[in-house]
Amino acid sequence: MKKIKGYSITLTVNNENYDLTAEPNRTLLEVLRDDLHLTGTKESCGEGACGSCTVLVDDQPVRSCLTLAVAVEGRHITTIEGLSQGGALHPVQDAFVAHHAIQCGFCSPGMILTAYALLKENPSPTEEEIRRAISGNVCRCTGYAKIVEAIKSLADQGRQER
Amino acid sequence: MKKFDLIGKDMKRVDTASKATGEALFSGDLILPRMLVGKVLRSPYPHARIISIDTSKAEKLPGVKAVITAKDMSGDKWGVFKYTQDQQFLPTEKVRYVGEEVAAVAAVDEDTALEALSLIDVQYEPLPAVFTVDDALAPNAPLIHDVYPSNINIHVKIDVGDVEKGFSESFLVREDTFTAPEDSYFQGEPYAVAAQFDNAGNLEIWMPNAGPHLKAKPLSNVLKIPLNKVRVRKITIGGAFGGRSEIAPADVICAFLARKAKRPVKIIYTREENTVATRQAHAMVTTIKTGVDKEGHVVARDITCRMDGGAYSSTGPIAVSVPFLCMEQAYRMENIRYNGYRILTNKPIRGMFRTHGRAFACGVDTQLDMLGAELGIDPLTMRLRNARQTGDYTPTKSFVASCGMTETIIRTGEQSGWKEKFGKLPPFHGIGIGTNSVQTGFPMGIRGGSQAFIKLNEDGGITVITGIVDNGQGNDNMIVQIAAEELGISPDDVQLISADTEVTPSDPGSYSMCETFIGGNAVRLAAQDVKMKLFKIAAGEFGVGEDELTARDRKIFVTSNPEKSMNIAKAVRIALSRNESISGEGSYWPNVDAKREWVKNPYGQLSETFSFGTVIVEVKVDPETGQVEVIEAWAAQDVGYALNPKVIEGQFEGGFAMGGQGGMLSEFHQWHEGRVLNPTHLGYMVPLAIDMPKINNIIVETIDPNGPYGAKEAGMSVAMSAAQAYSGAISNAIGVYLKDFPLTPDIILKAIEGKGKREQ
Repeated sequence: MKKIKGYSITLTVNNENYDLTAEPNRTLLEVLRDDLHLTGTKESCGEGACGSCTVLVDDQPVRSCLTLAVAVEGRHITTIEGLSQGGALHPVQDAFVAHHAIQCGFCSPGMILTAYALLKENPSPTEEEIRRAISGNVCRCTGYAKIVEAIKSLADQGRQER
Repeated sequence: MKKFDLIGKDMKRVDTASKATGEALFSGDLILPRMLVGKVLRSPYPHARIISIDTSKAEKLPGVKAVITAKDMSGDKWGVFKYTQDQQFLPTEKVRYVGEEVAAVAAVDEDTALEALSLIDVQYEPLPAVFTVDDALAPNAPLIHDVYPSNINIHVKIDVGDVEKGFSESFLVREDTFTAPEDSYFQGEPYAVAAQFDNAGNLEIWMPNAGPHLKAKPLSNVLKIPLNKVRVRKITIGGAFGGRSEIAPADVICAFLARKAKRPVKIIYTREENTVATRQAHAMVTTIKTGVDKEGHVVARDITCRMDGGAYSSTGPIAVSVPFLCMEQAYRMENIRYNGYRILTNKPIRGMFRTHGRAFACGVDTQLDMLGAELGIDPLTMRLRNARQTGDYTPTKSFVASCGMTETIIRTGEQSGWKEKFGKLPPFHGIGIGTNSVQTGFPMGIRGGSQAFIKLNEDGGITVITGIVDNGQGNDNMIVQIAAEELGISPDDVQLISADTEVTPSDPGSYSMCETFIGGNAVRLAAQDVKMKLFKIAAGEFGVGEDELTARDRKIFVTSNPEKSMNIAKAVRIALSRNESISGEGSYWPNVDAKREWVKNPYGQLSETFSFGTVIVEVKVDPETGQVEVIEAWAAQDVGYALNPKVIEGQFEGGFAMGGQGGMLSEFHQWHEGRVLNPTHLGYMVPLAIDMPKINNIIVETIDPNGPYGAKEAGMSVAMSAAQAYSGAISNAIGVYLKDFPLTPDIILKAIEGKGKREQ
């Protein structure tokens, strides 16, 4: 098989710059997991249906399995490893732990980043808005009730802070 | 004084912070030095003779480090039971389903591995194949295995009382047939295995599993190395749901590739491979004949169930039995006959599934509703009249030590407003109820019991060593919670070494709902063993009896005079300086009948205790589209005692979603000649957040006499009841009883249409 020519790119991931060579067909997910060893980003379906590979590109949730690495050069990429600062859990992570929104944990990184992006855009979403926002993320363990509760607890805080 | 510090409280799970940050490593995340990518070549035919396999071109491809076929293995056949040994990890003579493993490669990267697969030349002679139970049973059907005449893999026959006499004495008898196609696990984590050998021939292997010891023994057998050289390591596991308990061809293939290449190898399954080549749930056809008296009590029941088992035995004897056993636990009956068959077809292999048997349980419950309707008795009352009670024996002779079935029915009924709603809701608006019961373990031979060790450090901290595995349900936390409670220390003082076959003792694994009851008891006993040793030292220091002491807040003190106290750390230091053992050991062997066997002798104590559950749902059906909107749900289970109520709620909610919302509305596989047409998330519809109704959790506690703190298991009876509640509610809404599941919009529309025609 003929090797495809790689391109030199610089990716900004969790506020750090990485100089990489990536073939044009290489996905952001592959680069994050295999080159940068940021294995918190998970692959579950590989076809953009389950949301497990969700990362943030300029604070917007995207499916890294359907995103080409060369297409996000110069953008600000956040993975689950970049959410907590200085050893403390980010409030979204904290809420997921406190509300038992995590069971097996495989969907959790993607789910947490989707929740983070939702709350950033809309600090006090209704339950309906929460459910819609996370319906691109499949969780097979929880039935979503505790995930919705966790996000709601932050939404209620958002409401109080306004 | 409060009874417990940690038990019974909403304790934050010890494992979830690392899952929230992405730190937790799953098998597919492992990166080892010089690790190769493993890939599997699969059969394109549902049934074919293997004429030849030529791997020479693949072996010559630069970057390929190992290629294996059946020739690299002994050809031994494996099975969960002696009488089901029918599967080679790489087949020598025949392939039996589309997707069966034929050969495998390990290469420096994925592209090279995939190219190598394309260079392997396999010559097949296609054979006639069977894809349905009826075709497999037809007189001249091709045999899938020579050892199973008529393709009948397993036949479980149970006959208790006098069924014919019971029918003749019944006031009303009905016979109905219920069907459902295959459903699937869709664990978040696709199956993945990483394996490496060291110079001394020790295997280290990581994979999602529902019991590391269940994986280690067959690996030892097939690799011909002793058990102490098989190190199944602990790793975070992305769901099991009844699967992942048995050895998988991927485990064996990965180990053989690593041994041949002399380098670590990792295989990560695609979503499609996870669906096709791990396990699926059985399709089934269940015919149920039930006789009741005027008051609706079941007098006699005769059930024949035929399950489509796919190409190999897997956990067949268990799978054929469990839906029946759940039913006989849930409901009282004296005359009962069961003929359960597992039929082999040229389709992927079927195993145990969390919500196994929707065409069985929904059949039993739908028919109960139908009988009740003819008698003028509502479904809830029908269940109350037939509910299992504490102190009963099941028909197959299991003693029921604790049973809150009636309470689950009454409380879901009260909270849902059943009396005000049933029969009084507007058209296309309905309410339904389902009940069921599950085991807390089965007779599992020498793997039936669990053992635990506890080591103390001189600072008062401990390390718990146990074979208990956590698939995501929270077992790790359960272990820490119990050990910390018993010793009066903080969960932060507890380190856990679990699910690692090099160091942790034997344990049955998580898949029979037994980890709390059996594993939890073993951990508790180990902690009590340590506590007694500490108390002996403290008693000597204080000049009191050991029974006068309490351990709490990292201290041991005289219960009547808490001023008299010493830190646990001090007691440990005294023990060390006196050369006294301070480690603890605990083991628990459940009270089950070792002579009970799934096929040969299906009588005797099956499990030491059972959980019981009820689910009620209220739905609206759109008569134009057949779409179901679930308005609200009520889920109750007798869990024995709630060790960590939030964890239990999570199990109720997850089980409800999988069994009810997914299992009864949208989840099923479609086929074309043995090929799964919807193996991925795009075609197989698992529930999303927007689909789910409000779920009201009702925890019922009966304090089991032998469970740890009275606990049994944490939510499987809800998972196994939810589908029935959905089907009952939809039937109630549209005024037609439905017998073919899941209840997709087309089935519902057809039923509404049929009813309209009949009424004209």
